[in-house]
Amino acid sequence: MGTATRINAEAGAAWRSFVRRRTAVFFTFFFPVILIVIFGALVRTDPTGTGLFTEPAGYYVPGYLAVVVLFTPLSRVGSTVARHREGNRFEKLATTPLSRAEWLAAHTLVNVGIIGVASVLLLALILLITDAQFGFSLWLVPLLVFGVTLFCGIGAALGRIADSQDGVIAASNSIALPMLFLAETFVTPDLLPEYVLPLVDLLPLTYFSRGVRAATYYGRSPAVDLAILAALAIASFAVGAYAIPQTD
Amino acid sequence: MDALVAENVEKRYDETVALDGVSLSVAEGEVFALVGPNGAGKTTLVRALTGTTAPTAGNVTVFGESPAAVDESRLGVLPQSFAPPARLTARELVTYYAGLYDRSRDPDDVLSTVGVAAAAETRYENLSGGQQRRTCLGATLVNDPDVLFLDEPTTGIDPAGRRTVQERINDLADGGATVFLTTHDMAEAERVADRVGFLADGRLEAVGSPSALVRDHGGERRLVVETDAGTDGSDATAADTAAGVLSELDYAARTDDDELVVFGVEPDDIGDIVGALESAGVAYSELTWTEPDLEDVYLELTDGRDARAPAAAVAGGEH
Repeated sequence: MGTATRINAEAGAAWRSFVRRRTAVFFTFFFPVILIVIFGALVRTDPTGTGLFTEPAGYYVPGYLAVVVLFTPLSRVGSTVARHREGNRFEKLATTPLSRAEWLAAHTLVNVGIIGVASVLLLALILLITDAQFGFSLWLVPLLVFGVTLFCGIGAALGRIADSQDGVIAASNSIALPMLFLAETFVTPDLLPEYVLPLVDLLPLTYFSRGVRAATYYGRSPAVDLAILAALAIASFAVGAYAIPQTD
Repeated sequence: MDALVAENVEKRYDETVALDGVSLSVAEGEVFALVGPNGAGKTTLVRALTGTTAPTAGNVTVFGESPAAVDESRLGVLPQSFAPPARLTARELVTYYAGLYDRSRDPDDVLSTVGVAAAAETRYENLSGGQQRRTCLGATLVNDPDVLFLDEPTTGIDPAGRRTVQERINDLADGGATVFLTTHDMAEAERVADRVGFLADGRLEAVGSPSALVRDHGGERRLVVETDAGTDGSDATAADTAAGVLSELDYAARTDDDELVVFGVEPDDIGDIVGALESAGVAYSELTWTEPDLEDVYLELTDGRDARAPAAAVAGGEH
């Protein structure tokens, strides 16, 4: 009961803090929406050949979801860690029963909630704007949960390393942007240079993309990719929880 | 039993020595105020005592255990420059911190205790500075702790707000809680603390009750005479003339432009001094008699003594 109560208290405070920051709420949803509008428009031009955006619209669903699964937790948790540190909140929390893992679990839950809502909106928008053909699958739920958990953990580690909120944003963009385009989201592997392909397999987002594509586009079981994603998420969560600063 | 014990605590950050062999103990139910200049090591000592920093050397115990082993529900910590989530209301903030403990006080009761009940529905970011700090104090009290660490709890608060916080500290001590606070406000330390420790350059220079510290380190009672212009047409100022008069009465005095500071003056002596000055034709505009206080102790112990103590300009002998 104690752990659940503490996580609930921390998550409740974090959720209220988020929804009352109207600018943050707006851009959390506006960023992926504008990306869908732009990329969706590109896909609808039906380009031919073997270049960018030549796959059917449904192929790019993992890319759209990856935008929120990757960017939102990475920057949100990272900047939250920086904000907590700047306000000496961790110094206070370190002297309460709330553990670092509980803190990260609470903020992961909040991000799962935010990204869950955003994903539903994005899927609806994808249908409306891109005419994508894809199947809804319950596999999406664990894929989203583990994907968000994974990047919350990395965000917490970034928050520990970067010395300010600005630093976190810069670092998360530096990591997320290349990863977004290398992890089989919008760019198919055959368009990438051969020497980059081993790197693709090392990117955690790749397994999210492959899993979502298997579940929604190919109609296959994403179990293997989900298992890898889950293992990476657990490892990332452990590293992130350890990285949360409670002492100097 | 001692609630807090620090034994030869050292803390180094590379070449910087933040704490240099600090030893002290605080009894259960005692209010201990730690004062010292910025950078003296006060916050580092608080962090060592709360377990949020590990000493480089030495030993720290809280209720006989290492800080890491102490049941967190017994601790209440208000860090320096603490900034909680600003978009929560005062009630939500206190409720949030209450939710981190298995047992806690009623948040509304806590808000009443710290005098913020009327602003319970106001977001933290919209509270006044004093209300914000008192709400933070509420968040520190919500688990009904046995020992409180308050790092500059009244910084940035107006006098009325300061007094409210100080009254709450006294109430907590009356209820049996141990309070360890840091402050730059000597009047606050004198008002709330059973004992005061002076920290300078990482070293604990003195510890004692306010009265004992003032007695041992505060210097003498003094009379400050604001003199008018010279009296006899000579180059000597009125203050110089007065100093000469008082040296004959065996008072130690120091002149500074038109100000004369006479040391070792008891209240009963003031009439004699005034009589002597008037007999010598020394015109003065103001007389101020002061007793030494913790501020004098602070200046004495932190190399600020040049501002007050008798030095080269002393005239006359000891009284």
